[in-house]
Amino acid sequence: MTRQRPQLLLFKLTLISALLSAAPLPEMIHSAAPFWMLILFTYWLIYAEIKAVYSFALLLGLLLDLLHGNVFGQNALALIGSTIFILNVKKSFYVSNLSTQQVYVFVASLIYLVITIGVHWIVQGFDFSYLIFLAPLTGAILWPIIHFLLAKLKR
Amino acid sequence: MRLLKPLLPALIAIILIVLDARFSTLDNLKRNSTTLLSPIYFFIDLPGQMINWVSDKGSDTEQLIRENEQLTSELFELKAKLQIYNNLVLENQKISKLIDASYTLPANTVKLARIKSIAQSRLKRQLVINKGSNDNILALQIVLGANGVVGQIIQSTPFYATVQLTTDPTQHIPVKNVRNGARGITKGLASNRSGMKVEFMPSEADVKLGDIFVTSGIGGSYPAGYPVGEVIEVSAPHDEAFLLVSLKPLENMNELEFVLVVSEPL
Repeated sequence: MTRQRPQLLLFKLTLISALLSAAPLPEMIHSAAPFWMLILFTYWLIYAEIKAVYSFALLLGLLLDLLHGNVFGQNALALIGSTIFILNVKKSFYVSNLSTQQVYVFVASLIYLVITIGVHWIVQGFDFSYLIFLAPLTGAILWPIIHFLLAKLKR
Repeated sequence: MRLLKPLLPALIAIILIVLDARFSTLDNLKRNSTTLLSPIYFFIDLPGQMINWVSDKGSDTEQLIRENEQLTSELFELKAKLQIYNNLVLENQKISKLIDASYTLPANTVKLARIKSIAQSRLKRQLVINKGSNDNILALQIVLGANGVVGQIIQSTPFYATVQLTTDPTQHIPVKNVRNGARGITKGLASNRSGMKVEFMPSEADVKLGDIFVTSGIGGSYPAGYPVGEVIEVSAPHDEAFLLVSLKPLENMNELEFVLVVSEPL
């Protein structure tokens, strides 16, 4: 369980994910980078005991939509979709080894990707950089490092 | 029961998507919310600002920095004006034989803005600049680089503004071929990071590699005569009424540091 208030941890994680999303990376790396908000929100979901998680997912998603200028609600819907999956495997996630956690993170990121691309397809057409398909993979690969660093932050 | 809990937030998200994508009802809410979020941008941009600050401090004197900024601003302004003058000369050569036309260069005022180091959504091509409605930067104004059109302001808050690049798939610019005036509409290609295509060019249109397309001014969203891109590929597929024309933007979006915002209504 967390040693600090879950809301405070979520605030910190939100700021970190906003900073990571804004990091001046080359465009190719930026496209293939993990869904930072999802990854950090997943960590929070697993280790924080709190109700109304879907409302938090909605709010964080809307925040991301505003910051990135996306269709309002796009990231929110994607984050809610991934949250449903993460909460379903939460108990298993908590006790699993890192490899299994990586699989869970990959699936959550895949759900996020499918919903995001789906909304984008309906609203703006099927035109985007295919490097985005690497995002679930990079998220899963980087999960052990992220997990380690966030564990330090949690203390 | 477990699936009922996310139902309401998901429904809210879907309703918001529909309202935002199909109607303009959320525009005010988004604008106000984005303004409220401005401090977050300041925080996010802090590392970049620090780098700029340290870099500026490295110069000899404050006066040098001021002079440099002023000269950069003037250089950009002159280059932007030169773009439209070049086009006017070409236009004039072509039609002066036909009519006694007189051209007047629109007295647009321009403002220099710096690109903020904020990466945007990976599904869109946008930039954020360090000037906003406090500097009279408003939505729909166009943004120029030293070599051509960069994009259009789509959102303006008091402290910053968002520019949708010409390479964004949702950005359509009426253009014409400088060589012969053949008209079309550009569309960004997200699958090709720095690519555009020209749509609605009839298959019999005369388009060659190296042709330059400039804004045609049709529709009024962009002023006429600003360079947009150079033709890098032309093909005429069978059973297609239109040519496939690929453009390379004249402005390298990855190397932009400063841009000019044409701040007068067009």
